[in-house]
Amino acid sequence: MLQHLFKLIWNKKGTHSLLMIEVWAAFMVLFGVLTLIVFNLRNYLQPIGFQYENVWNLELSSNQDTTEIAAKLQRALQRVKAYPEVTAASRMSSNTPFSANQIGNSVEYNKVNVGADFYYTDTELANVLDLPLKKGRWYAEGDLVGKFVPVVINQVMEDKLFQNESGLNKVVKRDDKTMYKIVGIVDKFKGKGKYMSDNPALFQMLEKSDRWNSNILIKTKPGTDAAFEARLVKEVAVMLPGWGVEVGYLKDSRKNRENLTLVPVLIFLIVSGFLLTNVALGLFGVLNLNIAKRKGEIGLRRAMGATEAKVTTQFLGEIWVLATFSLVIGLIFAIQFPLMNVFDLDKEIYLIAIFAAVVVIYIIVTLCAWFPSKQAARIHPAVALHEE
Amino acid sequence: MLTNYIKIAWKVLLRHPFYTFITLFGITLTLTVLMVVASFIDHLFGAHYPETNRDRSLYIATIMQTDSANTSMSSGPASFDFLKKYAKTLKTAERVAVMNNFGFSNAYVNGKRIKLNTKYTDVEFWSVTNFEFLEGKPYDDTNIRNADHVAVITDALRDQYFGSDHATVVGKTIDIENINYRVIGVVKGSPPTRVYTYSDVYFPYTAPKSNYEEKGLRGRFVAIVLARKASDLPAVQAEFDSHIARIPKSEIPDSQRMSVLVVKADTYFDHFLNTFTRSDKDRVALYAIVGLVLLMIMGLPAVNLVNVNVSRILERASEIGVRKAFGAPSRALLWQFIIENIFITFIGGAFALVLTWVVIHFINASGWIAYADLTINVSVFLVSVVVCLVFGLLSGVLPAFRMSRLKIAEALKV
Repeated sequence: MLQHLFKLIWNKKGTHSLLMIEVWAAFMVLFGVLTLIVFNLRNYLQPIGFQYENVWNLELSSNQDTTEIAAKLQRALQRVKAYPEVTAASRMSSNTPFSANQIGNSVEYNKVNVGADFYYTDTELANVLDLPLKKGRWYAEGDLVGKFVPVVINQVMEDKLFQNESGLNKVVKRDDKTMYKIVGIVDKFKGKGKYMSDNPALFQMLEKSDRWNSNILIKTKPGTDAAFEARLVKEVAVMLPGWGVEVGYLKDSRKNRENLTLVPVLIFLIVSGFLLTNVALGLFGVLNLNIAKRKGEIGLRRAMGATEAKVTTQFLGEIWVLATFSLVIGLIFAIQFPLMNVFDLDKEIYLIAIFAAVVVIYIIVTLCAWFPSKQAARIHPAVALHEE
Repeated sequence: MLTNYIKIAWKVLLRHPFYTFITLFGITLTLTVLMVVASFIDHLFGAHYPETNRDRSLYIATIMQTDSANTSMSSGPASFDFLKKYAKTLKTAERVAVMNNFGFSNAYVNGKRIKLNTKYTDVEFWSVTNFEFLEGKPYDDTNIRNADHVAVITDALRDQYFGSDHATVVGKTIDIENINYRVIGVVKGSPPTRVYTYSDVYFPYTAPKSNYEEKGLRGRFVAIVLARKASDLPAVQAEFDSHIARIPKSEIPDSQRMSVLVVKADTYFDHFLNTFTRSDKDRVALYAIVGLVLLMIMGLPAVNLVNVNVSRILERASEIGVRKAFGAPSRALLWQFIIENIFITFIGGAFALVLTWVVIHFINASGWIAYADLTINVSVFLVSVVVCLVFGLLSGVLPAFRMSRLKIAEALKV
């Protein structure tokens, strides 16, 4: 039966080539869009690992002021912490959660080199962001006196750096001058929001004398409003004349950040949705005409004793074989992506996307062929043969 | 004759509404996508308010430093000092405006926060751009010299900060980070997609916190160089390149390691491309990806159109046979099919035009981009219609032409 169908399609490959090109192109478009969706969906399903609901980001910039920056920053932090509306506050490097800034570096352990996002913070960050520790503890003031700089890493980083061992209290090398000691491990930290993949992250303790990292994350009590914000900005601006003072809500920056991912995906989804509808309608039209042309053949088969179901299956089988031909060609293209590791994505993402695209294509062609073949099968043999 | 053909075409369309719908859907969809994309590209790169002089402007936005092997590089905007020395001195240019890249701030009014984009500019900025002043006037050289605390704000900020029921706001003060600025002008706001001119509030560059005193090459400022006419651009670029070539090694920081200094005065589009692609190889890859996506978006409906047309033409075989039997020459038949195709393409084009208008209107009104001013680009519309015609003719007329050469008896038999 299958062999017969292949022969039928192969004999008419000239007339079917256009249909095959169409199915192939539809598959490629679907593959592209689904890769994008699967990639983002997989990221979306993993929690970001911290709380940002009532957290504000106070950005200070010293501008032309060059004297006693570190002391001034420290004073500003103390002032912020003194407000009754503030539950916790922590200094942080410019790559605050959901910001566009990124700081990347790599560390080495046992000849394994792992690149990670570096966050420079003080001892309070875990409280401000409700970052639960899986193992060990967050670094504290006392850790700075040791020979090694205390750091906290996330789970992915531990897995990559130490494979199956525990990373707690291990010493890793940043460069010849700096060695880190891992004092704690957090589960996840997706600093760029839900659509970011769970990348290695490392938190390094800021020294009090640091003058470059001038962001302060503030956790406020629920219900704190802009009136307090205005007061805060005013008082900090008075304290630090000439400095830039800006407050942003992590809530807002999260939304902006996620829209940057969501909007392109949505546009692609809408456009490819229209394209596929177009293809489905076209396929339906073409199949309808093709099947109608074969009335005589259907009549003959029915007269010879084929049931309605058998005729329907034949037409569906034909379109499946045709789709398979195009999909094989499509797969030859698509399989290059995981093989050649294009865009450095996880192989699994491509494979899921390919599988999903194949399924969707089969569903579309089945739907498009179902109605015309059903209709054709219902033709009475006498009527069909009479027309002949 | 023509009206006759159109009548026939109309009847043919109505005979199979479903196929007509498929054909029209394909044409309309392709044209709409093309036109919306084109109008968006035009919105990004065309000369629109307030950068209406973009076709004769050059942008100096980044200073890039690399080592000779091109392995490591660092880049960023220039310092005010650098632009004053090397851009402001261009003799071939009509005017040179300097402004900072972008800045953010907040203002508070009645317990409400207003997020602000801030911009520090020189006086030339107001001549290079074409802002429409609703009230007051821009700051002048005296304001700059005295480092006055004055500001030009947009109409949106005016309504948010002062409320919409006001007589005039010129002369009132606005409190931003605890400094009181006197409002001296109100301009109609511009879309944020024009990154170098977009802001909510504009200050003279000598106002506090602008950092124009920074020394060295890199800083926070960009420049727009306005040539007298578009044909002058190459001359201005050449002069700027010669200025850059004259920069002594001693002024380049870290010149041991990063010895190559790349600063270009580019047209807006080139400048935009350069921020994404550093080498020619990248550019080819970018063009390839964009081309592939466009090809897919246009190719799929085109294949579909051809497919439907080719399948349907057999249906018309008997009609062709009858017409030939009554003595119609092949040429007349060909004309009929050409006109039929043009007819349906135009109907699709009309739908697409309406749909594009709706989509663009929706984008403009949605507030997705503030002050969005997307418009339908007529030349793109015409080009897309021609593309559709070509596909329609290829797919509809070629088979019909072949069919028209059929022997009458065979055509009638089908």
